[in-house]
Amino acid sequence: MGSLFRSEEMSLCQLFLQSEAAYACVSELGELGVVQFRDLNPDVNAFQRKFVNEVRRCAEMERKLRFLEKEIKKDEIPTLDAGDNPDAPAPREMIDLEATFEKLENEMKEVNANAEALKRNFLELTELKHILRKTQNFFEEEEHSIVDDAQHALGVDDSRPIASQAQPLQLGFVAGVILRERIPAFERMLWRVCRGNVFLKQAEIESPLEDPVTGDQVNKSVFIIFFQGDQLKSRVKKICEGFRATLYPCPETPAERREMAIGVMTRIEDLNTVLGQTQDHRHRVLVAAAKNITVWFIKVRKIKAIYHTLNLFNLDVTSKCLIAECWAPVVELDKIQLGLRRGTERSGSSVPSVLNRMETSEEPPTYFKTNKFTSAFQAIINAYGMANYREVNPAPYAIITFPFLFSVMFGDAGHGLIMFLFGLWMVVREKQLLTVKDAGEIWDTFFGGRYIILLMGLFSIYSGLLYNDAFSKSFNIFGSSWRVTDDFPIYGPNKSTIISHIQLSPNSTAFQGDVYPFGLDPVWQLSGNKIAYTNSYKMKLSIILGVSQMLFGVILSTFNHRYFKNTLNLFCEFLPQVLFLLCMFGYLVMLVFYKWIYFSAIERNSNCAPSLLIGLINMFLFTYPKAPCSSHTFYPGQQAVQTLLVVMAVLCLPWMLLVKPFILRWQAQRKIGDRARQLSVNSGDLVIEDGDVIHHDAIVARIDKDKEEFQFGEVMIHSAIHTIEYCLGTISHTASYLRLWALSLAHAQLSEVLWTMLFRIGLSMNGYHGSIIIAGVFFAWACCTIGILLLMEGLSAFLHTLRLHWVEFQSKFYTGAGYAFQAFSFAQIMEFKTDD
Amino acid sequence: MESLTFNIDNGYLEGLVRGFKCGILKRDDYTNLVQCETLEDLKLHLQSTDYSNFLANEPSPLQVSTIDDKLKEKMVIEFQHMRNHAVEPLSTFLDYITYSYMIDNIILLITGTLHQRSISELITKCHPLGSFEQMEAIHVASTPAELYNAVLVDTPLAPYFIDCISEQDLDEMNIEIIRNTLYKAYIEDFYKFCEETGGATADVMCEALSFEADRRAFIITINSFGTELTKDDRAKLYPRCGRLHPDGLAALARADDYEQVRAVSEYYAEYKLLFEGSGTNPGEKTLEDKFFEYEVKLMVNGFMQQFHYGVFYAYVKLKEQECRNIIWIAECVAQQHRTKIDSYIPIF
Repeated sequence: MGSLFRSEEMSLCQLFLQSEAAYACVSELGELGVVQFRDLNPDVNAFQRKFVNEVRRCAEMERKLRFLEKEIKKDEIPTLDAGDNPDAPAPREMIDLEATFEKLENEMKEVNANAEALKRNFLELTELKHILRKTQNFFEEEEHSIVDDAQHALGVDDSRPIASQAQPLQLGFVAGVILRERIPAFERMLWRVCRGNVFLKQAEIESPLEDPVTGDQVNKSVFIIFFQGDQLKSRVKKICEGFRATLYPCPETPAERREMAIGVMTRIEDLNTVLGQTQDHRHRVLVAAAKNITVWFIKVRKIKAIYHTLNLFNLDVTSKCLIAECWAPVVELDKIQLGLRRGTERSGSSVPSVLNRMETSEEPPTYFKTNKFTSAFQAIINAYGMANYREVNPAPYAIITFPFLFSVMFGDAGHGLIMFLFGLWMVVREKQLLTVKDAGEIWDTFFGGRYIILLMGLFSIYSGLLYNDAFSKSFNIFGSSWRVTDDFPIYGPNKSTIISHIQLSPNSTAFQGDVYPFGLDPVWQLSGNKIAYTNSYKMKLSIILGVSQMLFGVILSTFNHRYFKNTLNLFCEFLPQVLFLLCMFGYLVMLVFYKWIYFSAIERNSNCAPSLLIGLINMFLFTYPKAPCSSHTFYPGQQAVQTLLVVMAVLCLPWMLLVKPFILRWQAQRKIGDRARQLSVNSGDLVIEDGDVIHHDAIVARIDKDKEEFQFGEVMIHSAIHTIEYCLGTISHTASYLRLWALSLAHAQLSEVLWTMLFRIGLSMNGYHGSIIIAGVFFAWACCTIGILLLMEGLSAFLHTLRLHWVEFQSKFYTGAGYAFQAFSFAQIMEFKTDD
Repeated sequence: MESLTFNIDNGYLEGLVRGFKCGILKRDDYTNLVQCETLEDLKLHLQSTDYSNFLANEPSPLQVSTIDDKLKEKMVIEFQHMRNHAVEPLSTFLDYITYSYMIDNIILLITGTLHQRSISELITKCHPLGSFEQMEAIHVASTPAELYNAVLVDTPLAPYFIDCISEQDLDEMNIEIIRNTLYKAYIEDFYKFCEETGGATADVMCEALSFEADRRAFIITINSFGTELTKDDRAKLYPRCGRLHPDGLAALARADDYEQVRAVSEYYAEYKLLFEGSGTNPGEKTLEDKFFEYEVKLMVNGFMQQFHYGVFYAYVKLKEQECRNIIWIAECVAQQHRTKIDSYIPIF
């Protein structure tokens, strides 16, 4: 809690590391993950830094590892992820690693090259096999052989009478294999180039073949082209080459073809065994690599991270040691010292590393130490803006107020219970669920906010009980204090059906006089004036909650003013702000309580109780009419009190607007006067000593800076904006809290609609079929409850709560203009890498 | 009206291309690149830009040609992605952009086969944006007519080629003539298409294409000096859609030497500046670079308007210039030839 109230105290430290110990020290710090290094050479290019060669070697190793990983994935070998976290290896181990990866990569490449050659060979043979088989069909199966066919076709094309073909022309042919999608263009081109003087016959190869280079499955077709003469032959060949068709020799006689086919078959079988062996070898190599690859990746990444960090360091003049600057939380300094000592020992260096705290005027980063419970709440606050260094942090209050305001809008014990159970399940099974990776963004969001969900559920049960509302039904635990007797014309003929809603009035005899001990009396669930009753209650409640939260926010701002020693703000901001709020809405809240306590139906006529809203409006208009009894005053002397309050509130405006800028101006003028006097004294020394010239320059620069800093107009505008924002904000934010009532009403009504429109249908069925229908109706009702009421309504209530915190609450005290502490931590680097 | 409906079909792609544009290297990046000692440094620096790890999986030592391939590959992937998501008429517009690469590829292949290079070697040199199915079979043709009938008739370039069929055979000279005739027809057609599209597209693209046309006219004229190309033939090659048309082109057609070309440019304010600032002496920029610089300026201006297709053209051109810049710097670094390393053309 102490650490969450304000961000950690940070200190800028200087590290002097012996160059041989630097690596080990940084490695230790990376494991600790509590320092943020600053770049000391921001204007040096990435490739001109000292350890760029090592970084490059790491990149090369990563490339090799990625190559191996790709191969492992291709073979679908499971990689072993034992979840262990090896230390960053010593620099000399890097050479071993490099050698190992080099060897593995070369081996893989060799195996791949072999496999590719073999596969290409295999592909060629398979294609040849298909050609032989298909051409066999072409030649044999058709009634008159294909050669005749071709001669016939080409003969006609030659525009010679068929009869004159006494002897068949000598036709040549080529056979080959081509990608199936290329056939149409291929055919067209053949026709165009050879002017129709070729005869093409093609058949598809049914089974897809494997491309040896990419490993994809491709569909191919066998073709055979008949032509006449050598010129055409060369053209056809050129076209085939152009379309990447592979041509194969194909003997002309069936006997030769058969012989060749047999030869091809035996060669394919031989190849298959060789291929199998190559695959086995490849598999063995990869399985061995898969065991270690995760560890290797972690090691290489750690080395790379260390060298990247070392690149941020400065080299001192003697280049014996490296100088680093870093931000570190003060409480962790001992740990860091210890880590440095360990690192120095490990590297065997005799000179210890030195950690030196530095004075700085720079704004340190904001660092909150969170645990798994608080981190989600802190994340909600950070999403609005990172807190300024050591500013009051709203997160610890949000832990309670966030689920509470949510529950005011989501007040339903039944829905709350479901939400609570879901949250509980996630919390209890946390360890198992944490190991599940890549479950999707939505799941990650829910799981990340599991403690919020748990608390929201719990608080919803509480407010649901207060509202006495569970799935739009009420519990009658203590016995209602109303007796609805026969006087009420509410029962139908058979006394079991309610024909109209009762209008409950505490004036009637139905009210027994005692108050239901906890929450709302269940009888209101049945009454016709239920909404009028709860509205009045919830509206007032919203205003009370809102004003208290805002008041709390304004009070928190004093902690900031006092911590940063800003007395001026305390008197010129906080005091008028709190007065303004109290005079207007603090008074309203008081009236609410007064009205609740003072008026009751029995003793004083509550029908004639003064209206709060009209009363508030009249207070600002200074009118106090007598006409309707609801605009009477609450108490005697109200007019004087209210006039005083309004005058006070109005006086707060110039107080907020003017006092601070004028005081600031007065202070600035006095400072300049002082400086000028100082300067005139110093300029006397100027002539004597050279060193003072610099001193003098520094002063002038500082005065210039002061002049730049204080510009009255700017301060005035800033103050005006601030004042307007606060005053308008107070009014609009109070009104904004009414969303608590509005959403709560919407939720209750929606849940009631769902019950009456769906579930009651099932309940009103009689007989056996009723039991079946009720099951179906229950299903629909449950789905709608989960989908609409829990998910959608829950989300909307969540967003409204978020807004109430970010805007209404935090605007009172929170600046949120800091920057986050980004520690150099191996754990984070690994997580980020696995996310990629 | 255009701004109302443009985003229905093209909003995503325009957003995408503007995003891509932001990844184009800035002046700072170039100052850093120029300081590189080796190609490894270059790779390291490119990693910190939008290129991120496009070279990460390349084993050392790095070759300039690998960088070139990878640069092209990245650009082609981006372009293909846009082309695949485009609908009419943007898809046609994007196709038009690829036609110029097709023309270059065809000319490259014909010239290559003329010099007895193997087709597979040439294919690797072709720009992947301009590849088409029949491309590899181009060496079947030995005359322009055959080229047309066998190869080009199925490609979108066919209508542009009609004017070239009359050429007798394929020699160096004729190939150049074919190239320029194709370009002329292509630019004029593209110009017409953009005019028909209208709106801001026409505004931006017509300016860009006029410049392209004029640049070609100037270059053709200057290159033709000392060759056997007759003035009549030369005049036929000028694209007729630029600022120079018709008076400037007529004057160019009569020009006999560089001075006369320069005289023609005197009449056009923007070209006059280009000619004035150029020269072949050390320290001066060549006319070609001047043209490139002007083109870059035009293209950057293209991004100033919204709801038009010109951004896609501009992006491709800018990216091309960026590839040229990186390759130039890489070559200078690789050959340790640092004196001229600064003559890249910064874009932003």
